[in-house]
Amino acid sequence: MKRLSNIKHLNNLLKTKQISCTELTKRYLTEIEKENKTLNAYVRITQDAALLAAKRVDEKIAKGEELMPLEGIPMTLKDNISTKNIETTCCSKMLEEYIPVYDATVWEILQNQNAVLLGKTNMDEFAMGSTNETSIFGGALNPHDTTRVAGGSSGGVASAVAGNIAVYGLGSDTGGSIRQPASFCGLVGLKPTYGAVSRYGLIACASSFDQIGPITSSVEDAAIVYDAISLYDKKDATSCGKRCNAQSTLENSIKGMKVGILNEYFEGVSDDVKEAVDKALNAFEKLGVQIVKINIPEMEYTLPVYYILACAEISSNMGRYDGICYGYTTPKYNDTTDMIFKTRSEGFGREVKRRILFGTYVLSAERYDSYYKKAWKLRGSIIKSFKAAFADCDVILAPTVPDTAYETNFTLSDLADNYLSNICTALANLTGLPAVSMPCGFDQKGLPIGIQIIGDKFEDAKILNAAYQYEKLTHDTIYKSKEIGVML
Amino acid sequence: MVKRDDVLKIAKLAMLYIEEEEIESWIFDMNKLIGFADTIKSVEDDELEDFDDISNIVNAFHEDEVVKSLDRELVLKSRDGGEDGYFIIKRERNNRGYL
Amino acid sequence: MSWELVAGFETHIELSTKTKIFCQCSTEFGAEPNTLCCPVCLGLPGTLPKLNRNVVYYAIKAGLATNCHIRNITKMDRKNYVYPDLPKAYQISQHDKPLCERGHIILSSGKKINIGRIHIEEDAGKLVHQRGDTYIDNNRGGVPLIEIVSEPDIRSADEAVEYLEQLRLIMKYIGVSDVKMQEGSLRNDVNVSVRKTGEDKFGTRVEIKNMNSMNFIAKAMEYEFSRQVDILKSGGTIEQETRRYNSDLNITESMRDKEDAEDYRYFRDPDLVTISTTHEEIEELKNELPELPQKKLNRFTGEYGLPSADAELLVKYKKISEYFEKACYESKSYKTTANYILGSIFRRLSTDADKEDANISISPEYLSELVVLTEAKKINSNIARNTLEKMLDTGKPASELLSKEDMEGIDESTLRDICEKAVKNNQRAVESYLEGKEKALGAVIGYIMKETRGKADAELAGKIVKELLNN
Repeated sequence: MKRLSNIKHLNNLLKTKQISCTELTKRYLTEIEKENKTLNAYVRITQDAALLAAKRVDEKIAKGEELMPLEGIPMTLKDNISTKNIETTCCSKMLEEYIPVYDATVWEILQNQNAVLLGKTNMDEFAMGSTNETSIFGGALNPHDTTRVAGGSSGGVASAVAGNIAVYGLGSDTGGSIRQPASFCGLVGLKPTYGAVSRYGLIACASSFDQIGPITSSVEDAAIVYDAISLYDKKDATSCGKRCNAQSTLENSIKGMKVGILNEYFEGVSDDVKEAVDKALNAFEKLGVQIVKINIPEMEYTLPVYYILACAEISSNMGRYDGICYGYTTPKYNDTTDMIFKTRSEGFGREVKRRILFGTYVLSAERYDSYYKKAWKLRGSIIKSFKAAFADCDVILAPTVPDTAYETNFTLSDLADNYLSNICTALANLTGLPAVSMPCGFDQKGLPIGIQIIGDKFEDAKILNAAYQYEKLTHDTIYKSKEIGVML
Repeated sequence: MVKRDDVLKIAKLAMLYIEEEEIESWIFDMNKLIGFADTIKSVEDDELEDFDDISNIVNAFHEDEVVKSLDRELVLKSRDGGEDGYFIIKRERNNRGYL
Repeated sequence: MSWELVAGFETHIELSTKTKIFCQCSTEFGAEPNTLCCPVCLGLPGTLPKLNRNVVYYAIKAGLATNCHIRNITKMDRKNYVYPDLPKAYQISQHDKPLCERGHIILSSGKKINIGRIHIEEDAGKLVHQRGDTYIDNNRGGVPLIEIVSEPDIRSADEAVEYLEQLRLIMKYIGVSDVKMQEGSLRNDVNVSVRKTGEDKFGTRVEIKNMNSMNFIAKAMEYEFSRQVDILKSGGTIEQETRRYNSDLNITESMRDKEDAEDYRYFRDPDLVTISTTHEEIEELKNELPELPQKKLNRFTGEYGLPSADAELLVKYKKISEYFEKACYESKSYKTTANYILGSIFRRLSTDADKEDANISISPEYLSELVVLTEAKKINSNIARNTLEKMLDTGKPASELLSKEDMEGIDESTLRDICEKAVKNNQRAVESYLEGKEKALGAVIGYIMKETRGKADAELAGKIVKELLNN
């Protein structure tokens, strides 16, 4: 059974009154109660808000009013997206019980469409990590194999969508945090062009890298959500206001499209992943694309540059957590300085501290020039090189992650290895380019493998177009729906 | 590479306490990351051009028109209403003296 | 062996834009604590700053008015440090590409005080310490500031005060700030060092904070100068540090340890974008500037021939200077008009604020009319002054308050006759005068004034009488 859009399917069910929104929402809430115990995808369930929105939708349907594309669709938000009056913790002790007094812009947009928020989902603490295990609520598990992680840092969203206890979710991506969990869980994860989606209300990780994006069970759903949330926001100075209509070009043929391959991307990937990506390349060739080899001279510097700059921004963004105006405060202290030191030392986990310390180091007076300043300039070079590469190709193809989902409590032995797993994804954040991950097969253990399509700036519609055409061709071989949650 | 004093100095800047028993592991972690970052040392400075920012947006301004501020109740909500309308840090001893 | 004081200033001026620098909260002064805050200026997680257009324009104007070069392309940087009045643990400021650079102010002595840079940044909140607790009010957090940094060109407390007063007046004139030290919209920190007169090398400099008036600034500089000289004379060295001025004891006290040299880890703020101003836009802003105080002062003393003390007083209050010029337009009687304003009118504008507002009950045209009458000798100075007081009381013009008769002056030949009569009828007084008692003339003049019902010009009468008696 090939269904390319759960959102459209549900929209139709609601429109034709085959199910009421309230009924639909209740079904999801029931399944969440059942499945979340295992998956630990949700850290907070917002039953009242969900049912209230559902009621509004049902009233609209009763009046015969037309439904907007995302109206009444049960969904989730990663717990670093500010929701007014609803706890937003970034899964950190530092923001335990923190309740925002304002809404993130993306959430405002979705509320205007009466999106049904089922709850807030699990993540690595402050979005720093690739397994969701740095969360104070424990890790989110992979519905394909619950002895394995859902990925990070948007692990909760991916787990919920793959477990059929949310139709779609919004995650955030700083170095791969949407795409990697999507890849691990056999889903579609889109990181839009930097600036396409407002960051206002996204609790910052690394400001010039962060983007909010959808995790969905199909490319069309990703396009529908992207079209809805990629609006100009005057509250965000880095908001571009490029509103492209991704849905309208999905059906375009990609015959003649030039697909670039970076050799370096295939270093360090597992055999299974390499095989699956090769197969995907064959499929693309069947669709009439032309494979071209492209070269980025600064490829070996991309990850170090990413970590230097991202950690620098992180160290600055994390400075505000001092226990004074909101969030956790240490219970015992001698004076203000002691209070701030203790609050931060107790409130932050190890990974967060690690990045803060490293970021502070690269910005410190004696090292600024040789680390931050140099890395910043290198970033410019890398961006230029990619711009040049896109003169020779339309999109770039690459694996999303060198491997498939790790086992829980799997400690990547080498710290550097941990960070190296971002090698395929961090590039898009470094350059601000749009990138979508989608499934392309399974490994020998039956775990999903992800392939990434990267586009030039503002070519979000183009990469979704390519992804959609690939999905249409290979749908039954790349998706495996888990028989849990709400069966649509 | 960093030694004990460097790590303590960085931690102080970052307003983080490091327990004695943790210091070794932090030195290890930092040096691992620094080693990783040092890859860029092989790039010559004069090969690199200036780079402004990733947005390529210029002059994003807000107009100088007043918008109603947040109700004080909401401002102080996370701190149970504060005290007399202020945020309060109890028993602060500060040898900067002024302000 | 004499010693030389070397000083430079870091001046922070709150811009009088309606809204804060990165959000649209009001910047009004004196509101209840934490009532002018929003998620952005509170630095709540997830919020983003956006630059106030007028802050850039006001800052450029400040730069143009102080002869600075304006940077066409610039950016905002983060200055990272932790303090309870700084919600984000960084201040958004400008580090290596300030908006304005290389300006100057010229003192009355002709000496140039160079301005190194002017940049824009956000203000921090206010802390109140009480009973060991710290209270935080974030109303001021996010209020736009310009920081003006001078070169160490100042050599005396007098030069310092003149520099700061000029700066203050310029900012008032161009309308970018109300520069009230008592409200905190003008704050000054001074860097003081000393060296032997004639030496090229600069001594170690000490920063002094917490001087809330021009008077305190002068006192603090003088104290610090002596303190440093004493140390050096006895063979010691000056420690580079920050000191605060204690106005009760009139001393400077050490504030921070040397240890606390901050590493601000400046880097470009990734949430804000490039600020680009074209040459045309800068020219436009230049054309919007009013005549600056120095130029006006030169015109008043030069073209109008006013004594500098008078001119300075008139120029000090922009609206007064404008009133003055309007009042002189017809009469061209600058000195008389100035006298009336600085005398009777100023008496009614008792505070500085009153003079700034210049709510004078009569229009400049009415004042002009009075001056014309005086200059034409239609009324004498006594009558004129009385009339002016009546005008200020009632708001009515002289033509309404003076009768036709009052305005008929006394011509000289009539006056002569009356003077002769006075001399004849006041022989005793005349004799006293001729014996050497100058004051006795007063009785004669008094007689003349009575005869003319006060209309005679006393000065002229006195002249005529003396003439008559000398014959």
